Amino acid sequence: MSEPTATRTESRRNLPPPAGPILKVRHLTTSFRTDDGIVTAVDDVSFDVFAGETVGIVGESGCGKTVTVKSIMRLLPEFTGIIGPKSEILFEDQNIATLDESSMRKIRGDRIAMIFQEPMTSLNPVFRIGWQIDEALKYHTDLDSAGRRARAIEMLELVQIPNPEKRIREYPHQLSGGMRQRVMIAMALCCEPDILVADEPTTALDVTIQAQILRLMDELKKKLGTATMLITHDLGVVAQVCDRVIVMYAGRVIEEGPVHDIFHRPQHPYTRALLQSIPKGGERSRKGADGKRPRLPAIPGIVPSLRELPDGCRFQDRCQFKEQRCVDEEPQLIDHGRGEGSEVRCHIPLTDGDPRAERAAIVGAGGLGDVAGATGKSEEDDV
Amino acid sequence: MVARFFRSRGARKFMANRLAVAAFLVIAGYLLVAGLVWFTGIITLEETLGRIGASYQPGLWGAQRSGKRIEDATFWFEVAQNAADRGDFETARGGVAFYERRLTGELDADEIKARVARGIALAKEVLVVEGFDESASVLPKVDEIDAIVVELFPHPEGWDAFMYGARHVLGTDRQGRSISFRAIYSIKVAVQVGVVTALFAVLFGSFVGAAAAFFGGWIDHAVIWLYSTFSSIPYLVLLSVLVYMFNDTSVDKTLIPLYVAFGLTFWVGPCRVIRGETLKIKELEYIQAATAIGFSRTYILIKHVIPNTAHLMFINASLLFIGAIKGEVILSFLGLGVKSGPSWGIMISQSKAEVVSGFFWQIGTATVLMFVLVLAFNILSDALQDAFDPKHV
Amino acid sequence: MWVYILRRILYNIPVYLGILLLVMLALRTKDPVWAFLGKRKSVADHDALEHKLGLDRAFAVQYVLFVGDVVTLSFDQESWGQPGKTANELLGDAIVPSLVITAPALLLSSLISICVGLISSFYRGRTPDRVLVILAVLGMSISFLVYIILGQYFGAFILNDKVGHRIFAVEGYPDSLTPFTWWTYCMLPVAISVIVTMGYDTRFYRAVMVEEGTRDYITTARAKGASKSKIMFVHMLKNAMIPIITRVMITLPFLIGGSILLEMYFGIPGMGRRLILAIRDNDFPVIQAFTAVFAGLYIITNILTDVLYALVDPRVRLS
Repeated sequence: MSEPTATRTESRRNLPPPAGPILKVRHLTTSFRTDDGIVTAVDDVSFDVFAGETVGIVGESGCGKTVTVKSIMRLLPEFTGIIGPKSEILFEDQNIATLDESSMRKIRGDRIAMIFQEPMTSLNPVFRIGWQIDEALKYHTDLDSAGRRARAIEMLELVQIPNPEKRIREYPHQLSGGMRQRVMIAMALCCEPDILVADEPTTALDVTIQAQILRLMDELKKKLGTATMLITHDLGVVAQVCDRVIVMYAGRVIEEGPVHDIFHRPQHPYTRALLQSIPKGGERSRKGADGKRPRLPAIPGIVPSLRELPDGCRFQDRCQFKEQRCVDEEPQLIDHGRGEGSEVRCHIPLTDGDPRAERAAIVGAGGLGDVAGATGKSEEDDV
Repeated sequence: MVARFFRSRGARKFMANRLAVAAFLVIAGYLLVAGLVWFTGIITLEETLGRIGASYQPGLWGAQRSGKRIEDATFWFEVAQNAADRGDFETARGGVAFYERRLTGELDADEIKARVARGIALAKEVLVVEGFDESASVLPKVDEIDAIVVELFPHPEGWDAFMYGARHVLGTDRQGRSISFRAIYSIKVAVQVGVVTALFAVLFGSFVGAAAAFFGGWIDHAVIWLYSTFSSIPYLVLLSVLVYMFNDTSVDKTLIPLYVAFGLTFWVGPCRVIRGETLKIKELEYIQAATAIGFSRTYILIKHVIPNTAHLMFINASLLFIGAIKGEVILSFLGLGVKSGPSWGIMISQSKAEVVSGFFWQIGTATVLMFVLVLAFNILSDALQDAFDPKHV
Repeated sequence: MWVYILRRILYNIPVYLGILLLVMLALRTKDPVWAFLGKRKSVADHDALEHKLGLDRAFAVQYVLFVGDVVTLSFDQESWGQPGKTANELLGDAIVPSLVITAPALLLSSLISICVGLISSFYRGRTPDRVLVILAVLGMSISFLVYIILGQYFGAFILNDKVGHRIFAVEGYPDSLTPFTWWTYCMLPVAISVIVTMGYDTRFYRAVMVEEGTRDYITTARAKGASKSKIMFVHMLKNAMIPIITRVMITLPFLIGGSILLEMYFGIPGMGRRLILAIRDNDFPVIQAFTAVFAGLYIITNILTDVLYALVDPRVRLS
């Protein structure tokens, strides 16, 4: 693998990583204008991203994960998507929530890049691969066309696409899904961004390809030192690649902490339930005493509609430990003593000695390796 | 099924669109008028073809020049004279030929003849005056002529007055025929043409399209060949050939050539759309499940596939309705459309000569009536599309 | 690519043969000779004319012969309505007048509509967009014929009157075609045609642009840092070329149809006018030749559409 071509971003690379977080999100509130009034999809979300780390954002569909990152990228639909006035998105101490569009364009693709869920539709079908990578380089570097071409080929090599000289002349439909996602990654990383936002990058792919893409992202992160925000609903993926995890529910952050703590000592009942609902290879094939396989636990009920949120805890209707307090008052996101960087939004968080958490602990200890194994151990490539 | 339709999200979305509901009401109004003309005969074909007074009378009783007033009076004198010549005053008094404006019953035959003679003599005096149309000096004589007309044909009262007003409200065309009645009668013609062609084209096209996609195989190939062939003939060329076919045949004077022409060309659109939609629906799980359970394919087609394409049928029907109404105008102008009685197309075509002399009442009336209906259908089909088929381009 | 074009041509041949079959059958549903001669002529006259045209032969023979005529483009039967001229000659005379109306009308209306559609989608949901959408729907709801009648009245009569000299001719067609005479005789019909089609086209192009604007690749381009104009004029427009080409090609036959109306009204001796007059005269040889040519033109535009598709959309080339 050749070293990355010198670009104007190189000087940035050589600086020591900043001590503080590179991205600080504070009180992010994002609403949408709809036919039936204004709906708040993300409500007072705050978190940090540090240089070079991988943060996972997990939660069910519709919990606000994608809206959160689209707000950060300022890719919300014009006129209908509104970032609230108190929201702050501090990227290198600059509030990009209120930045004008042309300054924002300089950040997008250059300092913060994004890859999407659907590799099949995210590439423009009528332009060649090379053209599409070239476009990003054209906006953010002063390389000449030969230089950009060399850089594009180099990036395709970096994402392990064989025959890159040939591939840059091909159209997206000539590539498989996994290949297209590699192209997307190459495109996102070609300007060496500080943060890579990956919105469910593997959801639409086959399991074997998923593993390859994740491994690739992990390698590139180490090689380039890019911080990654990984959105997913797949906890197996989180366990495999993330350093820290943010769990979202109905537009709120409900639990946050290092990946190990979240998986082994979940404090929020929702997080625990999420962990329990992962199928585990060993357990699934093992039959119980009655000759039946144990049922996979599911979280009862559905995510409440964003239009009809309850007053208290937003998880109350589905929580098996609900108390009167949960109905009356919404809990704050505070440290409940699990360790540094951990916060939970629950009045009665599960604790280590808590008999209620016993099952969760078993799941956490026994299940995690299997989960990672199920998605991470295949060696085939789709080339 | 109807109840289920009204509870659907699409239906609620449609009802929330006030403009669409208004358009729907407008269309209902047109249909009502068409129904009234059709069933009660409130306006008959003959009424749209006979003279009712002077030609080129402006609508809304606009100020008239002496020439027009004399022309109008002369018309009434002719009516009275003809009655006198035939010795049959009773028909004219009964209003059989001229509806509400009846010959007075208070004058006997000689008195009538004397007044007609006096009126015609006065008219001749005026008409020889140089530039009488602009000259104020002739006005007393013209007023006298008008007075004689009113004496002979008193103004109608009650319902008759209303009908008389309605008949004259928008003036008369080049042949002295009532523009308002012709335009309203044309509503019936338009609705007739629109409903028949839209219904036929949508029902036939949808069924063929659904069957082709659902059964596949040679049926599908045959249908595709058929509609690519039909859609490869320019629309007006096909219509022209059909009109040639029907020229001078027994159905030439009816609307049947129009129906056939529109029916044959219009079915292609819905057939294509419904075929595409059925191909999609066919792959859905519940259809596969129904097949797996063992329902017969025809049953699944009729019970499950076709009802799920209903929204597309509605949208297509309203688009075809517009197509038929507009097509009628073009064909009538080319002399290939409606041949007996009035239609908006006939009215607009005829107004070609009127517009040149600055008379806009006929083209204006027909255009406005047609415009409102077509606009309503355009709004309706847009709203239907928004409500039921939001992804459509 | 060439294989693809060849396939499209081969596919369209049976379709065209089918059209010829249908048209010929339809034209023979009644005896064309009697329809022309009227009932007063003798049976001998009838038979003579019928024999001259070969209408007394078996249908299959007539079909094969006519297909031969079409392939060699030799419609050399004499016109009934205009004795002394063959259908071929009439066709040759009519092509240029039709073309000088249709081609500029198509070009102008497409260009203007695409621009207006882009503007409209750019301002999507805001005042300029709303105004344009409303205008388009209103414009669509008025009959073509009304545009023509009023267009002629205001464009020719009133305008010439106000200006004091002739800007547009009321009707007719120049003996020799120069840019100046084209302007005098053809500009008004072309302008009317453009105005009429604009309502439909603008709406369609707007919908296409709005649809393309919601695609994932647009978000990707934005995430890359592309500017709004780059996105609209590079990313969107190239993708929108596919529906745009379809649309332009679909408009063609309607344009031919619409120009029939314009030709009739403005007295332009084009193909449409010739066809309508032939139908009025029961001029069988001309009707048959002209419908075959019209359908042939349409088929050719179909094939051209497919070829253009392949040029614009890389995905089509493979399939």
